[in-house]
Amino acid sequence: MKAVWRAARAAVRRRRLQTVVIGLVLTFTTATIVLALALLESSVAPFDRAFEAQNGAHAVVAFDPAVVSDGQLAETAGLPGVEAAGPFGQVVVEAPPGNELGVPGFNGGRATLVGRPAPDGSIDEPDLWSGRWATAPGEVVLNVLPPYGNGGMPEREPSPLAVPGGPTLTVVGYASSLSATADGWVSPEQMAALHPTATQMLYRFDDNATPADIDAGMAAVTAGLPAGAVLADQSYLTVKDAVVSGTGQYMPFLVAFGLLGLVVAILIVANVISGAVVSGFRHIGVLKAIGFTPRQVVAVYLVMVSVPAVAGAVLGTVIGHFGSQPMLTTAFRGVGLGEVAINPWVDVVAVVGMPLLVLLAALLPAWRAHRLPAAQAISAGSAPRTGRGRKAQLWLSGTRLPRSVSLGLGLPLVRPARTALTMAAVVLGVMTVTFASGLIASVTKYAEVADRTEAVQVYAHPVNPEAAAAMDPEQVRSTMAGLPGAANVVAEVYIPVSALGYAQGVDVDFLQGETAGMGYAEQLVAGRWIGAPGEVVFSSKLLQQLGKQVGDRVTLTLGAGSADVLIVGRMMGGELDNAYADWDLLAAMAPGHEVRPDWITYQVQLDAGADVDGYLAAVREAVPGVSPQANAGLSQYTLTVTSLSTTLTLVLGTVAALGVFNTVVLNARERRRDLGMLKSIGMTPRQVVLMMVTSMAALGVVGGILGVLLGIVVHRQVMPVMGEASQIELPPVLLDVWQPLSLALLGIAGVAMAVLGAYIPARSASRLPIAEVLHNE
Amino acid sequence: MSSEDSSGQVVVRLDGVRKEYGDTVALDGVSMEIRAGEAVAVMGPSGCGKSTMLNMVAGLDRPTAGSVTVNGEDLGRLDETGLALFRRHRIGMIFQFFNLLDDLPALDNVALAAQLTGVRASQARKRALELLDELGIADRRDVYPSSLSGGERQRVAVARALMNRPALLLADEPTGALDSVSGEQVMDLLLDLNQIGQTLLIVTHDPQLATRCASRLVEFADGRVVGERSLERAA
Repeated sequence: MKAVWRAARAAVRRRRLQTVVIGLVLTFTTATIVLALALLESSVAPFDRAFEAQNGAHAVVAFDPAVVSDGQLAETAGLPGVEAAGPFGQVVVEAPPGNELGVPGFNGGRATLVGRPAPDGSIDEPDLWSGRWATAPGEVVLNVLPPYGNGGMPEREPSPLAVPGGPTLTVVGYASSLSATADGWVSPEQMAALHPTATQMLYRFDDNATPADIDAGMAAVTAGLPAGAVLADQSYLTVKDAVVSGTGQYMPFLVAFGLLGLVVAILIVANVISGAVVSGFRHIGVLKAIGFTPRQVVAVYLVMVSVPAVAGAVLGTVIGHFGSQPMLTTAFRGVGLGEVAINPWVDVVAVVGMPLLVLLAALLPAWRAHRLPAAQAISAGSAPRTGRGRKAQLWLSGTRLPRSVSLGLGLPLVRPARTALTMAAVVLGVMTVTFASGLIASVTKYAEVADRTEAVQVYAHPVNPEAAAAMDPEQVRSTMAGLPGAANVVAEVYIPVSALGYAQGVDVDFLQGETAGMGYAEQLVAGRWIGAPGEVVFSSKLLQQLGKQVGDRVTLTLGAGSADVLIVGRMMGGELDNAYADWDLLAAMAPGHEVRPDWITYQVQLDAGADVDGYLAAVREAVPGVSPQANAGLSQYTLTVTSLSTTLTLVLGTVAALGVFNTVVLNARERRRDLGMLKSIGMTPRQVVLMMVTSMAALGVVGGILGVLLGIVVHRQVMPVMGEASQIELPPVLLDVWQPLSLALLGIAGVAMAVLGAYIPARSASRLPIAEVLHNE
Repeated sequence: MSSEDSSGQVVVRLDGVRKEYGDTVALDGVSMEIRAGEAVAVMGPSGCGKSTMLNMVAGLDRPTAGSVTVNGEDLGRLDETGLALFRRHRIGMIFQFFNLLDDLPALDNVALAAQLTGVRASQARKRALELLDELGIADRRDVYPSSLSGGERQRVAVARALMNRPALLLADEPTGALDSVSGEQVMDLLLDLNQIGQTLLIVTHDPQLATRCASRLVEFADGRVVGERSLERAA
């Protein structure tokens, strides 16, 4: 055993660069795997995890203080199978428009404020992600998600919140409650001064899995209370549905990235390690020749690769753990899913699994060496079999290319196994970058298509029903369309209708105005956009549920009226699980059906280059009862996914480049004698570099092309699967995300990866001390 | 030019050459000259510095002190690229273990030296074939080194060394890895080359090689020149 250890230690010392590369590859890949596993773990049931972390409320109930006392409510906490927090004073305040704090209720709407002494307690512990809790009168904490980037801080200093007819509240903190118990929190003293109109109680029930469980819990809680005590109640299952339909559709993308990171990291480690062992065959032969048993030889090699592997795995786990945690927390907090704690099992799997993977990767070639006779092992390591790629080499030597270039081009043909390993590293790297960039482009495109950010720049809706009541929607639309910068304004209203033969209702989005260029067409998976009042476009999910397809007819009914309509298009599903029709269809189907002005949303398409802020200000001035908002670019979800994906892509690209670097180092090492000889007959250092870099560039070109093609194939295979998991049918525009230029750049990335990976060892090879090399070899 | 002619121009001049590897002194103030057309054999026990001296002359290594001049060129003034060009155009080298590229057949191994200078492949192959023919192994031109005998490999190496018509041919134990028959063939080859005017510097342990091919013997011990004498070539 001592001999094995000594031989392994000597081998490590002799291969310092290779040892360092293996260590670096293991560090990067282990860190990637920690991130990938943590991502996978966090992506499984993220709502449930975050909800439990916040001790979320299964039911949030507003009681009428005129009907039920605080004492009666406090007694509900003692019921079997029920846990309660409260009572807390609650009031709904009207916020004037213009308070753009990123909180839905605080921009010309109604916001629910709750008086709570602290964010902790047995139920609903909001994630206070910035500032402090409101403890004094005149202070408020807003329920808002942290913005992605910007150091997790709000993008602008919040302006004080003036409660109409009440005090002015200063924003002292931001918190995020997954239970959505309030839009903002104030101290109990402040709440008393605001004269609460309701009393909030938060409940957790032992049985909570289904709506029936929640209903049963609510029945138990309210059984002993006077009739009419409950003003409103909210089940966590409703909140969960809303969150999952938002973030849920992005989770498969994150899972895909986690899996990609895992698979690529494992493949690269296997590649690097098996390459290291294969390159040591000559050394293995020598060890056998001096009396090492085959088992000892295998042991030497396993120890040799294990030393940097263990060091890299430990370092990578530490970096991965402490690097991933803030990254994932920022990402998941950004979508309201709280802090992410990396489970110890992730660290254990990484720190134990990676060295085991290395041992496995080393064992296969080492076992081959174990069976090779010593002489054969020595020759396998020192000289390639001759005649390989002979015709190509002869042809190359006869070309007018500089000899160093033609020699370089011929090198990959000499050692097909090594070439295959190098090629695999390049292909993996380029494939990863191609797939990842395609995924990022698809996710970004999805967000653009879903949010129609390219077509609609401003949304506007009435401030409140009272303001809307005095409006003439057609007048509002024409006023907004007449403001400078406006190109087109479309009004929309959701009206639930029934479809003949379908038990559930269908929410139809009736549109008024020129809708053709408003971005709906990009959401089409099949068929075309509506062109007449008798036509509708349905989401793919709805069509599936109706058992209909494009070209079929369906009868819609609203009240006493009905209309037979033609389905002309199918749209992607997901969040957009609805139907579209012309406003005139509504009038034809149910003349006189009430459309309240406060139900209407106005979509505005601006002229190219128009000033969005200027238009918003103009709308506020021209139509005071309307609150306009910019259709902001990418959503939090998209930013989260793209940021994580970009990080993983960069790390995996670096690891792949290290893999290439490693194989070039091995190549240069194996060819020391040849390089020494070539230099002895007059090859200049520059020619040596050119030859080595050319040999890798050739692989880079082939690997780049293969990697790009594979990346596209994988993207096209994986995207629909992820789409299915997200309940989205992907329109072609989400798959055709590459332009010829971007593909060419991706291909060049393969060459760049190979050339950069080759340059340093090539330079080192060009400086080889010839006399020493020729003497030693 | 006869090999005995010592009036030729000085091709190699070593002046007080010292080479240290850490604490080890490989060459300790070596001075010597080789004139055009001479065949000089350097002998001495293992580790005496003779191969180190050869490496200095070939520009494969640099002295710690002193100067090496070959064909009027002070090698100390040349950078790595300059040394490469010097090796390419001024010298040819033969090694004990041939140092052929295993991936290339004999003809391409020989032609390679000329192709590095920019000579077109067809021309380089033509000259390489001529050399292989002169050395009697033209029929082995398409054979890879691993399928050649030791003597054949060394002839290919000699052909490669002569490819660019070097002023000086350096040989480091050229028969050291050969059987006696192959060794004889290589000795004859070197003798023939010297007799047509090729300047030779041979490092060897083999007295037979020295007496057969060299006109002068320089003896080394402990990094120094300890003796020098003219030789009567054996028949």
